[in-house]
Amino acid sequence: MARTLMRFTGVGGQGVLLAGEIFAAAKIKEGGHGLKTATYTSQVRGGPTVVDITLDDEEIFYPYANDGEIDFMLSVAQASYNLFKGGVSEGGTIVVEPNLVHPSDEDRKRWNIVEIPIITIAKDEVGNVITQSVIALAIANTFMKALDDELLRGVMLSKVPAKVHDVNNKAYDLGKKYALEAMAS
Amino acid sequence: MELREVISTGNDLAAEAAVDAGCMFFGGYPITPSSEVMHTISDLLPEVGGTCIQMEDEIAGIAAAVGAGMAGVRTMTATSGPGVSLKAENLGLAQMAEVPLVLVNVMRGGPSTGLPTRVSQGDVRQARNPSHGDYRSITLCAGNLAECYTETVRAFNLADRFMQPVIVLLDETIGHMHGKAMIPTVEDVKKGIVPRKVFTGAPADYRPYGVGDDEAAVLNPMFQGYRYHFTGLHHDGKGFPTEEIETCRKLIQRLEDKVMMHTDEIELNEEYMCDDLEENDVLIIAYGSVSLAAKESIRHLRAAGIKAGLFRPITLWPSPAERIKHFTDKVKNVLCVELNIRQYTEEVERVASRLDIHGLYKVNGRAISPYEIVNKVKEII
Repeated sequence: MARTLMRFTGVGGQGVLLAGEIFAAAKIKEGGHGLKTATYTSQVRGGPTVVDITLDDEEIFYPYANDGEIDFMLSVAQASYNLFKGGVSEGGTIVVEPNLVHPSDEDRKRWNIVEIPIITIAKDEVGNVITQSVIALAIANTFMKALDDELLRGVMLSKVPAKVHDVNNKAYDLGKKYALEAMAS
Repeated sequence: MELREVISTGNDLAAEAAVDAGCMFFGGYPITPSSEVMHTISDLLPEVGGTCIQMEDEIAGIAAAVGAGMAGVRTMTATSGPGVSLKAENLGLAQMAEVPLVLVNVMRGGPSTGLPTRVSQGDVRQARNPSHGDYRSITLCAGNLAECYTETVRAFNLADRFMQPVIVLLDETIGHMHGKAMIPTVEDVKKGIVPRKVFTGAPADYRPYGVGDDEAAVLNPMFQGYRYHFTGLHHDGKGFPTEEIETCRKLIQRLEDKVMMHTDEIELNEEYMCDDLEENDVLIIAYGSVSLAAKESIRHLRAAGIKAGLFRPITLWPSPAERIKHFTDKVKNVLCVELNIRQYTEEVERVASRLDIHGLYKVNGRAISPYEIVNKVKEII
C-alpha cells in the first residue's frame, strides 16, 4: 500500500481527535504504521482543529501531511475548512457537513466535494451527536478503502464502553451507507 | 533486548517511563503542551504507592519535587518553557545541593507565554543554563516516540549517577503525536536501575559532599540517622555554609568535573546514513521532532542522487563535541535545522571551529517540512 494521508478538521470539542487515533491504531494492528497528529489553538473549545492521519506499510518519520499530498479531508466547520483545505491534492475528495460548511464554486471545480450531513445523521438517525466521529471514521474508510472494515470497527469498539457498542455500530453502518450512496451518485 | 509494541503519545510514554523507572513522586503544575504527562502520572503513581501532587504554581511544583529528591526517592516534574523560567531558581538549588530529579520540558513557542499549543525548540539554550552560576546541565532530547520512554528512563539513571537535575526535552509535536513505539519491557527497565550511592559507615564519619574531585555527592535518604545540611550557599563536606577559599573553589570545580570528566557515560547520538558521506556530500544536524522531517528529506535527497546523512544528538548538553567535529571536519556542506534561531548551530560552530555552517530555522510555531529541507539542501550544494 502506498502512503494514505487523511485530514479531519473541525472545532475543538467535536471529537475529531478520536477518529484519528482509531485509524492509526487499526493500521498498526494490521502490522503497518500509523501516526496521528493534531493541531489546535489555545482556544481549546471552539478553535479550529486539524487532525492529520498517515498510514503506511513502511516506517513513517515526518508525522504531518505535506501540503498538496492529502488524499481525503473531512470537515465539519467552515473556519477549519477554509484554513486547511489547501493541503488536499487536486481532485482529492473533501467530505463536508453541508449545514456547517459551504464550499465555493471554485472549490467544487478543484476537488471532489461530497456533502453528507454527518451531524444531522448523528443527532437524528443514531440519536447521539457524539457518534459523529464514528460516522466520520466510516465515511473516510469507505472512500479511501484504507483498512478492512471489521478491523477498524473492532478497534473503534475497543475504545468505547461496552454499553454504547450498539449505538456506535449503528453510527459506523450509517456512515458507510451514506458514503456508498454518495460514491454511487 | 526484547522490545514491546505500544500505541501511545510522547507525553504518556514519558509518564509511563517515569513510573517504570521507579519514580515515586511528581510535583507539578499543568501547562500546555506538557499537561498530559502530569495527567497520566497522576493515574499511575497512586497504583504503585507513589504520590502526585498539583501544587499552587510551577515554582511550588519543582520545590516539592526537590524536597522529595532530598528525602531519597526518584522524583519528577514536567512543564513547558514558561514553567522552566519559573523553576529556574529551584533547578539551581538542586544543582548546588546535588539533588537528583528529572524535569520534562515539552517545548512550545516562546519567549514568555509565546505560542502555547504550537511546536518549538526554543528552550535548547535555556536548558543549558536555566539558573545562574557554574554547573553543567545534562539535557536529553527525544527524537521519536520510543525515546520519550527510553530517554526518560535514562534521565532517572543519570540523575542518580550524577546527583543533579536531568532535563528531558520533548517538543509539542513529539509530545502529542500518537502512534506505534517499540520500547523495552518493564523488567528490563527495572534491571537497568542503578540506585544512588549510599554511605554505610558510621554516621559520625558521614560527609555527603566530602567526595573525590570528579565525584558526585553521596546523599543518604533522610530519617535514617545520617544527618547533614542542605543549602544553596557554598558549603563544606558536611553541607554547612562556608566561605573558605579552597573549599569554595573545589566545590564548584567538582560540579564541573563530575560531569565533564565523564561525558562518555552521558553522550548518545544517532548517525543516520552517515557512513558513506564524503567531502562534497551533505551533513544535516537536527534533533527532536525536526529530525523526523530530516530523515524523510534524506530519503527524497538520496532518491534524487544527493548523498545526505543526519547527525542527531540525543544528549544535547553536554554537546557531543568530538563526534560533531569528526563529521564537520569530513563534510563540507553542513546544515543545521532547528525550530529556533541558531540555538544549537552556535554550539556546532564552536565545536567545529567553522563559521560556514548553513541553517534552516523556523519560529512561527509550525513544523519544518521535509520538502523545505530538500529545497534548502539543493540551494547550498
